Parts: sequence; structure tokens; C-alpha cells
Amino acid sequence: MEYFSLKRSSALNRGQPNLSSKVYVRSTRSGKVQKIVREVYLRQDIPCSSTLCRACFDNAPMDYTQKVAPFVLSDTPAGSKDYPNGLYLVPDTNAFLTGMDLFETETGFRDVVVLQTVLEEVKNRSLPLYHRLIALTKNEGKRFYVFFNEFRQETYVPRDAGETINDRNDRAVRKAVQWYNQHLVEAVAAKSKKAKRVPSVVMISDDRDNLRKAKADNIPAVTLSDYVSGLENADELLDMISAAQEQREVRSKQAEVFYPEYYTMSKMTTGVKAGTMHQGIFNVSQYNYLEASVHVPAFEKSLLILGRENGNRAVSGDVVVVEVLPQDQWKAPSTKIIEEETVAKNDNPETEGGENIVTERERRALQEEVKRAHDQSTEGKPQPTARVVGIIKRNWRQYVGHIDRDSVKSTSKSSRQQQTVFLIPMDKRIPKIRIRTRQAGELLGQRVLATIDSWERDSRYPVGHFVRSLGELESKGAETEALLLEWDVQYRPFPKTVLDCLPPEGHNWRVPASLDDPGWRGRRDLRDLLVCSIDPPGCVDIDDALHARKLPNGNFEVGVHIADVSHFVKPNNAMDKEASQRGTTVYLVDKRIDMLPMLLGTDLCSLKPYVERYAFSVIWEITPDADIVTADFTKSVIRSREAFSYEQAQIRIDDKSQQDDLTNGMRTLLMLSKKLKQKRMDAGALNLASPEVKVQTESETSDPIDVQTKKLLDTNSLVEEFMLLANISVARKNYDAFPQTALLRRHGAPPKTNFEELGNQLKVKRGLELRTDSSKALADSLDKCVDPKEPFFNTLVRIMATRCMMSAEYFCSGTQAYPEFRHYGLASEIYTHFTSPIRRYADLEAHRQLAAAIEYEQLDPSLHSRHKLEAVCKNINVRHRNAQMAGRASIEYYVGQALKGKDIQEEGFIMKIFSNGFVVFVPRFGIESLIRLRDLATPEPDAEFDAENYVLKVKGDVNRSVELFEKVTVRITDLVEESTGKRKVKLTLV
Amino acid sequence: MAPVQAAVNLSPAELSFLRSTLSQTPPIRLDYTKGPRDFRSMRAEYDVLPGANGSARIALEDGTEALVGVKAEVEQSHWRPPLEHRSIVSVTEGERMVLDEEESDESNGKGKNSWVEMSVEIPGFRDDDALPVFLASMLTESLLASGELKDRLYINRRYHWKLYVDILLLSPPLSYPLALLSMTTHLALLTARLPALTSEKDEDPHFNDDWDESVPLYPKDNGKDGSTKPIDKPPVIVLAMAVGQNIIFDPCKEELAVADAVLAIACTGPKSSSTGARLVSIRTIDPPSHLTPPGVPNSMNSATGGTVPTSSADALTQRELLANSGVWTPPRGGMRRGLVSQVTKMVVEDGGVGEEVIKALQAIEVG
Repeated sequence: MEYFSLKRSSALNRGQPNLSSKVYVRSTRSGKVQKIVREVYLRQDIPCSSTLCRACFDNAPMDYTQKVAPFVLSDTPAGSKDYPNGLYLVPDTNAFLTGMDLFETETGFRDVVVLQTVLEEVKNRSLPLYHRLIALTKNEGKRFYVFFNEFRQETYVPRDAGETINDRNDRAVRKAVQWYNQHLVEAVAAKSKKAKRVPSVVMISDDRDNLRKAKADNIPAVTLSDYVSGLENADELLDMISAAQEQREVRSKQAEVFYPEYYTMSKMTTGVKAGTMHQGIFNVSQYNYLEASVHVPAFEKSLLILGRENGNRAVSGDVVVVEVLPQDQWKAPSTKIIEEETVAKNDNPETEGGENIVTERERRALQEEVKRAHDQSTEGKPQPTARVVGIIKRNWRQYVGHIDRDSVKSTSKSSRQQQTVFLIPMDKRIPKIRIRTRQAGELLGQRVLATIDSWERDSRYPVGHFVRSLGELESKGAETEALLLEWDVQYRPFPKTVLDCLPPEGHNWRVPASLDDPGWRGRRDLRDLLVCSIDPPGCVDIDDALHARKLPNGNFEVGVHIADVSHFVKPNNAMDKEASQRGTTVYLVDKRIDMLPMLLGTDLCSLKPYVERYAFSVIWEITPDADIVTADFTKSVIRSREAFSYEQAQIRIDDKSQQDDLTNGMRTLLMLSKKLKQKRMDAGALNLASPEVKVQTESETSDPIDVQTKKLLDTNSLVEEFMLLANISVARKNYDAFPQTALLRRHGAPPKTNFEELGNQLKVKRGLELRTDSSKALADSLDKCVDPKEPFFNTLVRIMATRCMMSAEYFCSGTQAYPEFRHYGLASEIYTHFTSPIRRYADLEAHRQLAAAIEYEQLDPSLHSRHKLEAVCKNINVRHRNAQMAGRASIEYYVGQALKGKDIQEEGFIMKIFSNGFVVFVPRFGIESLIRLRDLATPEPDAEFDAENYVLKVKGDVNRSVELFEKVTVRITDLVEESTGKRKVKLTLV
Repeated sequence: MAPVQAAVNLSPAELSFLRSTLSQTPPIRLDYTKGPRDFRSMRAEYDVLPGANGSARIALEDGTEALVGVKAEVEQSHWRPPLEHRSIVSVTEGERMVLDEEESDESNGKGKNSWVEMSVEIPGFRDDDALPVFLASMLTESLLASGELKDRLYINRRYHWKLYVDILLLSPPLSYPLALLSMTTHLALLTARLPALTSEKDEDPHFNDDWDESVPLYPKDNGKDGSTKPIDKPPVIVLAMAVGQNIIFDPCKEELAVADAVLAIACTGPKSSSTGARLVSIRTIDPPSHLTPPGVPNSMNSATGGTVPTSSADALTQRELLANSGVWTPPRGGMRRGLVSQVTKMVVEDGGVGEEVIKALQAIEVG
């Protein structure tokens, strides 16, 4: 009987060796479970990519330009003692997981073959590490080559029956190494008859079983630490191996467990779905490291998580699942400052035995807290507390910190003995990290970058490893780099691919002279307008310029001209991608980290005076009463007549003798801006305050000399008003054109509860009422918050009110209902960012959308996709916040440096009061600092805290009481904060 | 029962001849090499559809060929009130339930018939034609009769597997395809695998992504000799027909046309280690012989000198008298009880037909 089998690619079918298949189960998001069969076509033309090999090069597949991808691995790789002929490394998955920092070092680790098997495993185990590995393979100097061993017939390994997937993958790695070695011998032999040096291909693995099998098959293999030990700077390199694995082996004997086990993933997802558990981001309090909060969608207020045990190894920033604790364990949020440094000072990093998860001192601190919560049941209402039952996603990054001096046993620099030390992160919310190092002596007093590798149940602190040293504590370079790293600011120079996107003419680029040039298509010639720019002094990236002139009908024509960055940065090229990653330019006191390469930011895009530049113009017709008649948007070419600083512009406007058209135009602008501002205020725009100071630096060394608070001139608000106007006009236009995908900016109305405390404080202390039903009511009641004796009081209240606000955010119009678009602070229905495309990516996107809205060009598909825009918004929101934080941290550092060695008395105000300390704000320097009771006298004086009246009565020798909003005189000195290693100002009460 | 299918194209004389050879002792079948208990030879293979959870294909030598795919999907169960004899303390969703002493066997009796869906497709028939519908209901019935399969589909209180059994007859129905379809389904189910569950209790189900870790739908018991034997097996339907005193298994189309009675017996493997087979369900099938045209005896044919009966009652009486004369008369009436029990015994007994079939199908998987 004739019979055909329906099966095509069975394992038994030896007739088709180039065809194999993989079967696995995929669970989809919607809960479907599918069996997936992937056919694998095996090929023989995947090159080994060694420049020694001719055969592979001739055989390798070509791209559409008929070229073979360049071969990566060197023909003369570096050798070692055991392998004098040079070697290619083939690390297994664990080698990358534990030693990624090693592979990233610039000095060694070149000529590495990354097997596809390994790459996929790394991807499954850790996405961040995978991205780093991919970045490495793109780094030409490192010569990392991804070899698709699963697709090459000779190295493909089918899974044996009963074999675990790990064993199969290990076997695949060994097979690939074996093949490589054999292949290289053949390749060298084919090249020349004389016996030449053949590089060895060595597997790097820490898996004993794998090593044993490799030995049995005569495959060269070493452990990562053995390999590193043979290198030059072994000590430093060995510290960079992740501690996770090592620790596990050492400690496996001890069964003592400090933390409860996490729930299984399925249990958590079920719980979250059923509403019995909640998912959110774990946020540790700035003031109390034992207190964290998790905001979950189910409740309006955040859930409190108290103590390390309930925190259950979560690190600030992790996405966690929590379970609400029974009501008898609820308690009020802390009114006490608890810092890890003071409570857990005497921990020994080396010993594990006898260690408790909660030390006696910590327990006492918590007990006091609970007592307090029970006492004041009316005022500080107990809040629901919760405990962490599992972690959905770790958001561990690299942390900057310094080595705790007390944890170092031997500080001798020559000692190479490995010891365990604590790294104290700069971010107070991150717990101490236990690190094993051989260079403890050298690392003392340095800024150190480290990562967390693991946090096992039997370890009180997370275990991590050293990445690199940034330099001496307090040195400008190290501190600047530290804060850039802490705020995740991308500060590396732009890669070549990005620079390749710049116009080839470089600085010689000019606006084309001929009006027939394609660059002029759709552009209006506005070169005859009297345009000028007004910016802070020394500004080089000029985003905006203005003009105004009187029209025959008595109205005014006002134009805002914005640098046409979207002409130079086309969507989806390397430069655009880099800019969207960076999101914003970051301004530090002495440094600027650009979003776009210098050539564009400070020259070609910048609306410099006296030269022609491309611009994107918004031109209004405005009545003398500052009502908008029409708004017009166009791409244009302008020639700025002058670039003023705020002060220069102010002087020129005030100088009655200047009667030229340009100055009169500025006067018109000023007149209109005042009317616009008044209208805005009438609509309920808020006038908020933040303590802004300016650090004066010496021009040569940029060492700080003095600190000043910023002065605000009329011209500041002139520019601001028209920028707001332009932003609002553009937002309307973009929203009309793209109701689903316009990129806008909103500022949510703050929930009433945010103002509860401030309102209560004002009522109790000053008898003032804070009304928060609308932004207008808030603005009005803030205006009334004045203390006739103390002019600064109003500003202080505004600063505090600002902190109760939500932060503004970018969003994609399709994701919110129209009423949610509202910008609370500006009291505008709709708003976007348009006016600073050189330094903000959001503005660049708005430019592209506006260009499409006026039919100047086609809209890029990425701007049509709500999904993609949401991702962009999410990123730039984070970048924007980080940039602000980095800027503030930079000012803080410089203020600290400027006050170094000084001893000044200044007046300050009490902003916040705790049961064992209070926060003082010094307006002169824009600094706020904590004064603890124990700073007042030693031994720490007793105090009576009246939480309802915000009064702290200090007893003992000090014997005085302090209350909220009180004006106090403080003595300002500086000291290096022990916990973070930052130089900070220290305030003491006088 | 619904009629099997259109009658075969055999003349009354041929039918009469066939019947007389089949009712001899021993009977001579149409394929004279086969005994009454012999099945037609077939080729079988399993796992033919890589994307399905289980699949099988069987081809008979006459060209009839069937393909069965089994697919499983996770489905949310509808809440149903707790059964009386269970002491369930709390039934709110998400809370753990307290079971009585039956903790170990908690899936018992929880399966529902709707968790198995079967579709039969036969070329030339619409899916609402009598034959496919009838075949599907027969196959479903036997599959669900013991209740073991549907209990196996239970995951937890909130989720279960939904099993789709797609049965496809690849060739036109040259013979009555029930037995073929049943055997193919049996083989597909026997080799079907479900992803391994990694979650516990009433959690949302999570599964091991390694297909090699998946568990057989019908769990196997790893014998000492290394061979894996399913503890429990899906049912298989055996077709038997009676002609006179003879019982013939796996009849072909022509043989069916002269059957006195046809029985479809669903049996499954024995529960414990005992041998033989277990009866799952039994059905009589209206044999196509009932629809065959009767032969006209000479005595009733005026052309041959007979007299045409005056009334239909008269005709019936005359035919009754001529029953054993060799002139083809469609059989009438049902099956004698003794015959039914005899057939059942032949299927179920030690070394009986049922055991033979099940063993043969299992040998395909093992070998």
C-alpha cells in the first residue's frame, strides 16, 4: 500500500539535516496558552568572522551592496600565559551575568565570540545586561562578534530526550567552542602550509559540571576568575565580578533566614487581579529610611510600608506587590527623622551570624513611632500599612556612593586581602551595599560606582560589586560625574553615527542664497523684519527671537521666531534617536550637557544675530488691548538684528533717548506682555516661587565665589509671556490637526489632600485661610498670605505651596479627555512646549506636528502612532525631572563649595517640624537643612512635640521652643556629610 | 438510530449471496483472508500536526483516511454553586477554599461536558448533515461517558482546559467511518500533551514554557521495564455486526449492507492492572440493509408465472414464508439480547477485541 507520512521535520528524519524545529509554550497576555513550533533552517554560510579565515569570507552572505559584513575577530588576538598563541573568548551566560562590568573595561577583553545561545539566555535573564551586551557588540574597538551558532549546521545541537534546557545550552556552547577550534586550525592550515600560530578558542564558565565535561571532551575552558587572575590589573578586575554567585556558594550552609520568601508570580498576579494584593512602585522616604510608601491604583492615598521586614528586600524604585496588613498594625506616618547611618552604625559587613534583620535600635525607634501613633489618634490618623510580598520588576541601577570607613578592617593600601565592606550610596533611600573588594584601602575617600547583584533572604543588606572609581570625594570631576550618573544623564560624547547626520558643510552652512533652492520651498522670507533675541547673559543656544510692529489698522503684528531644528533633525535617524533618548539639555552650574550636537545647538540652529537662519514663526495680529485677532504659523528665514541679555534689553527699553524701530518694537512687546500677564493672572494663573539662586564662578577655574538669588526683570517676563502665548497657540493648532496624537503638556489640579497640611499650618499659626477649590482661589488666597512684619513670609508660603503641586507632564492627546488637558499653573485649557527645540525633545516633536498641520511636510508615521508617542512622553517626562534634579544637585554642590570654610550668620525660617528636629530654610542661599535635636546639645536634649500647634519645646540646657514659620538666626558652617560624603552646609541655631 | 448512509449498489441477488457466505460457519468475508474478528489493515501515525497538542492519522487499505487534531485552550470557568457534600467555608473569589477529606482528588466530578468540543468534517457533507452530527455525538458521548477526561481538564476553580477535537475524514466515506474516526481520535488523545502547570491552587494558571515538560493528557505510568503505559486510556469504538449466528467485527461497507444488526461498542482500558477492557457505552445502529431493495421471488412475479400479491399485507406474509429461500429480503427487527451480550463479551473479555485494539493503538505510540 502506498503511504506518505504527513510529518515533515521530525527528529527521525535524517534526510533533511538543514531543517529542524523548536517547540515551546507561549502564554499570551490575555491568558491564552499556545504551543508554538518554529522551524529552524540550518545553514553553512554563517561566518566565523575571524580575519584569519578565508573560506568563511568567500562563503559569507552578502548584503544588497554585494559586500560581506566586515570580519570582526583579530588575526592576532592577545594571548595569555596558558595560551601564548592568543585566544578568542567564548563566555557562557553566567560569565556575562556575573562579569558584565569586566567585559566592558576598555583595557582587556577583546576578541570575544558571543554565541547566540548565550545572547538569548542573557536576554531572558536580564534585559539591562542584554542591552549592555548589545552595546558592546556594536563597539568596534572591543571586537565582540555575535555568532549565530543555533543556525549553523555544524554547531546546532538538538535537545536530547530528558535533557534540561540548561544542559542543552551548555552543550551548545561546548559544541561551538569545539567547532571554532577545529575550524581555526583548518583555516590557518588552508592559509599557509607553514605551521603558524593558531589562536585558541576558550570557553569561560563557572559551572563546574560544564567545565568537567569540557575537560573530558578536550575543549579549552577556564573559570572567569582564573582567567582574570592571569591579567595585569587582576585586583581591580576581580572586584568587578558580581558577588551574587560567590556568596550563594559560601552561604549555602547557613540556613538562617531574615526575610520571608516572595510569593510565586502566579499567586501575585491572581491576587492583584482579585484586588487582595496591590502593585506599585516602592518609594522610600527621604527622611526615614525605614518608611516607604507604595502608591497603588486602588487607593487615593499611598500605602505605608514600615520597617525592613515589611519592606522585604525591596529597593527604592522597584515595582512591588504588597498586601495590606491588619488594622491593628496601621499607624501614622513618621514625624521623626531616622537615618540609617545613625541607627545601624555598628553593623559589621563581614559577619552574618547572629545578625538580626531588625536591630535592637531599629526596633526601639519603630516602637516609639507606634506608641506615638496610638497616642494621637485624632491628629495623626493611623494610615493603612502594608508589606511587600513579591517583586515584579527590579529597577536596580548603578549606584554612586562611598566606602564606609568604619566597615574597613585594614586600610593599608598595599594589602591585597579581600574583605567585605559597606558602600553607602549617595541616595539616602538606598540601603548600604555589601561589597567584597581587594582594594578597600585605595577606595576609601573615593566616589565609587557600584551595582547591586542580589539580595538573598539570608542577608540583611544587598550584595553588590564594585564597578569603577570616579575619583576623589569632593573633587569637581568626580562629583559632577556622580550626580550625572545618579540622575541617569547620558553624558558621553555623541557617537559617530549621530555626528554623521549633521550637514556636511559644518560651520560653513548658510541659508541658500537662491530662492529657488529646495530649502526655500514653503518658507516665508522674513529677513526684513526687525527681529531680536533676549536671553540670559552668555547664552549661546538661542531658541527664540521676537519682533513687533504697528499695523496700519492700529493693531500690532507680533512674531515669535523659533529655531527650526526639525529642518536639521529628521525623524528616526541616529541623531533623532539620540535626542529622544536624552530628552533634554541638562544645565549644571559649570557645564551643559547638550541634547543635540554643538554644531546645531550653538550655531546652525541658534538664532544668532546678524546672520540668516531658518526659523519656525508664529505671527499674531494683536489689538492694543492684547486680544489675539489672528494667529499664523509658517516656516521662515529671519535675520536677527541683535542678541540682548535681559539686562541689556531692560537698559535699552528704559533709555528714553533710544527711539529706533527695534527699541520701539521691544517697548510694544513689553507693553503687550504686561497686559497678557494681567489677563493670565485674572484667569487664575499661579505665581509660584522656588528658591532659585545663582552661583557666581570664577571664569577661569569655575570655582564658586559667591551665591546670589536670581533677580527678575521686566524683560524676563516679556519673553516668558510671548513664549507662553506661542505654546498655547501651537497647542491649539496641533490639537485641531491631530486630535489623537498631538503632543501636549498638562498640569493636573492637585488633589485637595495635598494642601491639607499647609492649610492647617497656616490656620493654626497665622489664622490664614488657604482656599484650594480652583487655581484662581488658590492664587488669590496666596496673595493674602502676608505677614506685615515679614516680607519674605509670602514667598515662603509660595515655596511650600509649590511643593504641594503635581508635576506637569507631557502626554499624547488621545490618552486623556479634553478637560484633563488643562494646565493648572498657567490656567490654560491647552498647552504644549514649542519654543525651545534646541534643548527639549518635546518641542522638536511639536515642530514636526505643526509643520504637518500647516501642510509644510508629511508627518512621520512615528508621530501618528499613539503608542510610540506615549513611549516618547514617558521618557521625556523622566528625563525632564532628572535634568531638574541634576541641576539642583549641582547648585547644591556648588553652594556647599562656595561656603567652604566660611562661618556666617544668616536668618532662616522654619519650614517643617519633626519630633526630633526641624528644617530651616535660608533664603539668602536658597538652602534648606535639617537641624536635629542632638545637634543642639550633647547629650541629646529631651523635647516635647506639640504636633497640633507645630511647636517643639526643647528642654534641658537649650530650653527654648521653636515653632513653624518662625524666623530664626542660624550659623552656617560646612561639613562633609558622613552618610553621603557630600559637602553640605551645616546649620546651627544661634 | 439514524440510517447510516445511502445503500450500496448491490443487486438483491448479490446481497443474498453475500449474506449466505457471511452466515456460514465459519463465515467467509468479502476479503476471504480475514476472519470474523479481524480488522482491516491500516497505517497509523501520530504527532502529524506540529501545532496541535495531539494529532493522529490513520489510513485504511481501501483508501479511507482520517486525521484528528486535538487542541487545548485555557478557559475561564463559570462560577457554579458548591456541591452539597462539600464543606466549603468561603466561596468569595480569591479566597482560599477549605475542602473536606477529598483534598487529594479535588478534580473528581468537577469536569463539565461542555469542556470538550468535537467537530467532524466529512467531504461531501455539510456540517449539519445527519452523518457528521451523528458521528460527532457518538464520539463525544463515548468520550464523556466515563467522566475521566473532563475531570482531567480541570485546572482550578476558576480555570479549565477546553478541548477541541477536530476530526477530519480526508477521503470520501467509502465505508462507515465510525470505527476509523474513533481509533484516530483515540490515538490523537493518547498522544496529546498539555503544558505543565506551574501555579498552584486557585491562582491564575501559569505554565512551564518548555514543551518537553508538558504532561500527557492521559498520564502514563512508568513501568519498570522502561516502557510507558498510560494508566487510563481514551475510549475506542468497535463496530460489530451480526449476520445470522455470526458476529463480524470491523465490517466493510458491503458487509454492512447485509447485516441483521449493527452494534457500536465503546470500550476503554481496564481500570486497574486487570486485563481485558471496560465497557463505556453501547449503541445499536440502524443497518443500511434495512434500506436495500428486496428481491422479487418467482412466486410473486407474474413474469415468471407467479401471482402478484393482492395487498401489501399479503406480500408481507408471503415474504415471511420465503425468508430462508435465498431470495433477498431486507432484515427486519432488532437484535436479540443474547446476541448483544455475546458481542459485549467478545469485546470486553480477556484478550478480547477491545483489548486487542487498544493494545495495537498503544503500540504505535510506544514503538
